Amino acid sequence: MTAILPAESAGTRRAPVRRTPAGHRKRWRYLPQYLAIAPFFVLFAIFGLYPVLYSFYLALQRWDGVGPMKFVGLQNFAYLLTDTTFWDSIGNTLIIFVMSTVPMTALALLVALGLNSSVRYKGALRVAYFLPNVTSIVAMSLVFGSIFSDEFGILNWVLRLVGIGDVDWLNDPWAIRGAISIMIIWRWTGYNAIIFLAGLQAMPTDVLEAARIDGAGPVQTFFRVTLPLLRPVLLFSVVMSAIGGLQIFSESQVLLGNRGGPGGAGMTMVLYFYNTAFADNDFGYGAAIAWGIFVVVVLFSILNWRLVARPERGQVQTKGAGR
Amino acid sequence: MTLTRRRFLTGAAALGAAAFGAGACTSPTTANPGRITLWYNTNALSEKVLGEAVKRFAALKFTPAHVSGEFKQRLLAALSGQAYLPDITMLGDDIATYFADTDHFVDLNTLGAGNVRDQYLPWKWQAGASPDGFQLGFPIDVGPAALYYRHDLFAQAGFPSESDDVAGAVSTWDDYFTFGTQVQKKLPGRYMITDTKTVFTYSLAQEPKKYFDRSNHYLDDQSQVRRAWDRAVQAFRMGLTAGYAGSQSINGESIDRHAAWNSGKELSFVNASWITGELKQSAPATSGKWRICRAPGGAGNQGGSYLAITKYCPDPHGAFEIVKWLQSPENQPQNYLELGLFPPSPSTYTDPRLLEPEPFFGGQVTMDVFSKIARDVKPVYFSPWDITISDTYTDELTNVESAGKDPEQAWQDARSAVERLLRRQGVLS
Repeated sequence: MTAILPAESAGTRRAPVRRTPAGHRKRWRYLPQYLAIAPFFVLFAIFGLYPVLYSFYLALQRWDGVGPMKFVGLQNFAYLLTDTTFWDSIGNTLIIFVMSTVPMTALALLVALGLNSSVRYKGALRVAYFLPNVTSIVAMSLVFGSIFSDEFGILNWVLRLVGIGDVDWLNDPWAIRGAISIMIIWRWTGYNAIIFLAGLQAMPTDVLEAARIDGAGPVQTFFRVTLPLLRPVLLFSVVMSAIGGLQIFSESQVLLGNRGGPGGAGMTMVLYFYNTAFADNDFGYGAAIAWGIFVVVVLFSILNWRLVARPERGQVQTKGAGR
Repeated sequence: MTLTRRRFLTGAAALGAAAFGAGACTSPTTANPGRITLWYNTNALSEKVLGEAVKRFAALKFTPAHVSGEFKQRLLAALSGQAYLPDITMLGDDIATYFADTDHFVDLNTLGAGNVRDQYLPWKWQAGASPDGFQLGFPIDVGPAALYYRHDLFAQAGFPSESDDVAGAVSTWDDYFTFGTQVQKKLPGRYMITDTKTVFTYSLAQEPKKYFDRSNHYLDDQSQVRRAWDRAVQAFRMGLTAGYAGSQSINGESIDRHAAWNSGKELSFVNASWITGELKQSAPATSGKWRICRAPGGAGNQGGSYLAITKYCPDPHGAFEIVKWLQSPENQPQNYLELGLFPPSPSTYTDPRLLEPEPFFGGQVTMDVFSKIARDVKPVYFSPWDITISDTYTDELTNVESAGKDPEQAWQDARSAVERLLRRQGVLS
């Protein structure tokens, strides 16, 4: 689109030139511009578009990864619709997404507020909170593996100490989801806190001061002023979390293996795709699962967009009312 | 000659065109044209033997290449992309998944493999051949399964503790379960069995039939599978299993299980020979306290890899010479000493290096036990779908063990899941 725009405007401006015989010369005129933007489109076509189209072609085949492909039409998709494991994996993904995002956002907000108030060693604390985000997932999962270990894990030892007793972290379906959520919370709280912090620091101080002068307490200021002003940043973080949440994979895989643990409670959509394509070498069906995931993501995006669009309207109204 | 911009650009263009042209002419089908490349995975072949092979086969330009991580994915990518292929490659115990695609490989029989066939365990040799007799794999190692147990704790509690006595007391799975109940009465809070999954896996490994016959017909009468299943459920019902299945990482390692080895909570377990490395590494403090004996129910094998030659290899005879030498009965003991890969050649079982008493097993000569099991393993057909099917059954067993699922429901679910899977794969109609 951006490529067409200058061409059109230039064309109208140079209307008289159009009458010259060298019509094809005009066509080459903008070649440098097209060449300049070409790398992205070429790379996208090779590494983006081609695999996407190929995966659709693959979803119509039965293929073990080596031998000849066998065309099976829409069989893979028909199977997908009745595949309980796939439906369960969608459920698991959404459950883990909710179980991780809600506490994570609240925690991140608390951390951001803490960092925003005048504490010492702010820089060091910011780095400390951000550190989990840059830790290798595999390393982190190994550590969490020993933390969550049922009988000999540190977490259960602590729980026993305080008298709560053992939790079957890696055997009970809900505990498994909880364990994965804890890993996600640990990893992303700092990241979101830094984003919230940026939002807090960009906040106009006069509004907060005005609230204070009007006699608003800290709690009132937070809920009536800070939170509404922070809404765009909050929405950004929720959207980002949703994108990440639908792709939960590594935590589950390293903690529980390719098959999602007991009862398949840790089997997420992407893990199921990975397991089918790369562990069972069923590439055709794997591609079909990938398209199933695509549909789920599209539906989720529409939902997200609706949710995001609505409060945005609400915000405009409050602004108007404020004036 | 000064480098002007114009000259630079024409030069660069010419170079690019030359590279393009060259690439188009000599498409590099094998990873290193002119060399014989071997792909092997971590802990798959002795580095010492490979080093000697490089010197010995210098004329063939033998080049071993260690492939770390997802070995199979890289091999599949190379095979389907028809580029950068190895001349010799390692194949795992899922060798049957390549049986439909033997046109990518060389039939080792055509290279004279029949002459050395007698040097290897017949069942292992046979497992490397497709149903129509295409010899795809050359044996690297086997995984005879034994019963590992804590000699010191058995003795303390007044139970049979010497290898032969324990083997006598647990000769069948039923005996083993009875014995386990007695041991648990005396030593409460300890376990004799890792989980239902291992009972199922090793029980089925002792059967002469698995899921398919040699002409790839699904065995609808799964009485042998049901037998293994019932045993696993029975062990669970008797409270003999520790249920460490859930905490297994993708590498099959379980932190709980390692801790249970160290604390003496896991008193015994059935496993293939290759677990010794993990046991020694994870529970060094228990050195000298372990022993092994014949597993309950008979001889079984779990795992073991192969070498194969791709058809893209320009010199298959040379490659076969290398394979033959690498896995010769003279070189196999080094694989065992260095990496714990159990030799597939019976003649090595009397090699003095392998008959050394092992301090970790209290001076026991474990080769005596393993070699008998290895010889007794029954030939069984391993189909391309076996691993996925096995996983489906063990998933459901884990559901029974850790999620309290009704065993009969789990069995029905596993069976229908397997049948659905096979229908999708076009095996069943």
